[in-house]
Amino acid sequence: MTTPERPTVPPQTGGTGGAGEPGGAGEDGDGVPVLAGAGTDPRRVRRFWSVRRIPAALVAAVVLGGTGLLLYDVAAVRADRDAMSWRRELADDLAGRPLDDGLTVAAAGVTVLLGVWLLVLASTPGLRAVLPMRRAHPDVRAGLDREAAAVALRDRAMEVSGVQSVKVRMGRSKVAVRAVSHFRPLDDVRADVERVLTDGVEDLGLARPPALTVRVDRPSKKG
Amino acid sequence: MNAPVTAVLRRVNRTLLGLAGLLLVVAGGAVLAAALDLAVPSWWLWSGPDDVLLTAARRQRWRDEGWWWPTVIAVLGVVVLLALWWLLAQFRRGRLAEVLVDTGDGDAAVLRGRALEGVLEADATAQEGVAQARVALTGRRTAPRTRIALLLEPYASPGQALAGLGGEALDRARTSAGLAELPTEARLRAVKHRARRVN
Repeated sequence: MTTPERPTVPPQTGGTGGAGEPGGAGEDGDGVPVLAGAGTDPRRVRRFWSVRRIPAALVAAVVLGGTGLLLYDVAAVRADRDAMSWRRELADDLAGRPLDDGLTVAAAGVTVLLGVWLLVLASTPGLRAVLPMRRAHPDVRAGLDREAAAVALRDRAMEVSGVQSVKVRMGRSKVAVRAVSHFRPLDDVRADVERVLTDGVEDLGLARPPALTVRVDRPSKKG
Repeated sequence: MNAPVTAVLRRVNRTLLGLAGLLLVVAGGAVLAAALDLAVPSWWLWSGPDDVLLTAARRQRWRDEGWWWPTVIAVLGVVVLLALWWLLAQFRRGRLAEVLVDTGDGDAAVLRGRALEGVLEADATAQEGVAQARVALTGRRTAPRTRIALLLEPYASPGQALAGLGGEALDRARTSAGLAELPTEARLRAVKHRARRVN
């Protein structure tokens, strides 16, 4: 939504960092230009990258356990003791089971999937629940919880008169608001909710304010 | 390089996870290719669906060489040590016990980390709209950094809360500890509450 610099020549230039934007630009442009002028770049705000402590700890524990056990057993055999039975069984199994055996194929498949999963973990930022905020101060990098953003927007929308209940679905780049209104004309309520929430989104102080869609309905008749 | 501890750990974790993933994909893929009878080149580890994962002959190939067992034990030992270090590194939080304050007259004073954390927490909580703040000092004695978790009260504006934090609370901490800069990572959450109707 926030096009950092006005794209006068869209196709060739600026293909480096801020290329993700043009999609949302055409949708609803009002209210945003002010924002884009004020709050963007001196330095581009990057996403938060997870340290991946838990996957790393798990992989480390598995490697440690496996090699530790093998090391112990190899050393024990060197010291003229008998190998543990699992090792002999494993060796027999590895030498006896053909590759197209169901178990081998399944194990290989699982190994590949596990590997892909680890590669994904290694290369994606993670922390999808954290929305990066604008740099208000050069020293401070801040992130807002998606849930907190949703709650803040919900509270704003509830203040509009005629609104009975609000559901906010906060995405990383879009926020969908569904309000139920029990009095006042729907169009008026929608206009008010939109106005209030446009301010609300601005107040969140996000680096990339999400695109807002508002739906207002009457309460469904039950009975 | 003055990278903070967590940034180093993040890079190490992601590199090692990526390597492990790559290894698993290659190994599993190599077995699958042979098992599914794809046309594998002649140097492939396994020749076809009828091959086995590890023949006794292959397993025992170097067993009688004098260098074999010492090498196996050494390699396994190194892997065990590295894995142990990697595992333990995940539990280190890198919290700073003290900060070095430059007094300007050649002497250095030491400020307890807990004290600075406490002051920052009090300052951050004193702001309007902040229900609770937790501060952890990280980095190094001469170049501390902070991690701050703010819990926002209902109806607080996240943008304003952040502005207050960056403006006042951190400013005071910086000046009182005589720091040129105090890089901060802040995470804002909200107190859960029900929707309240005003009309």
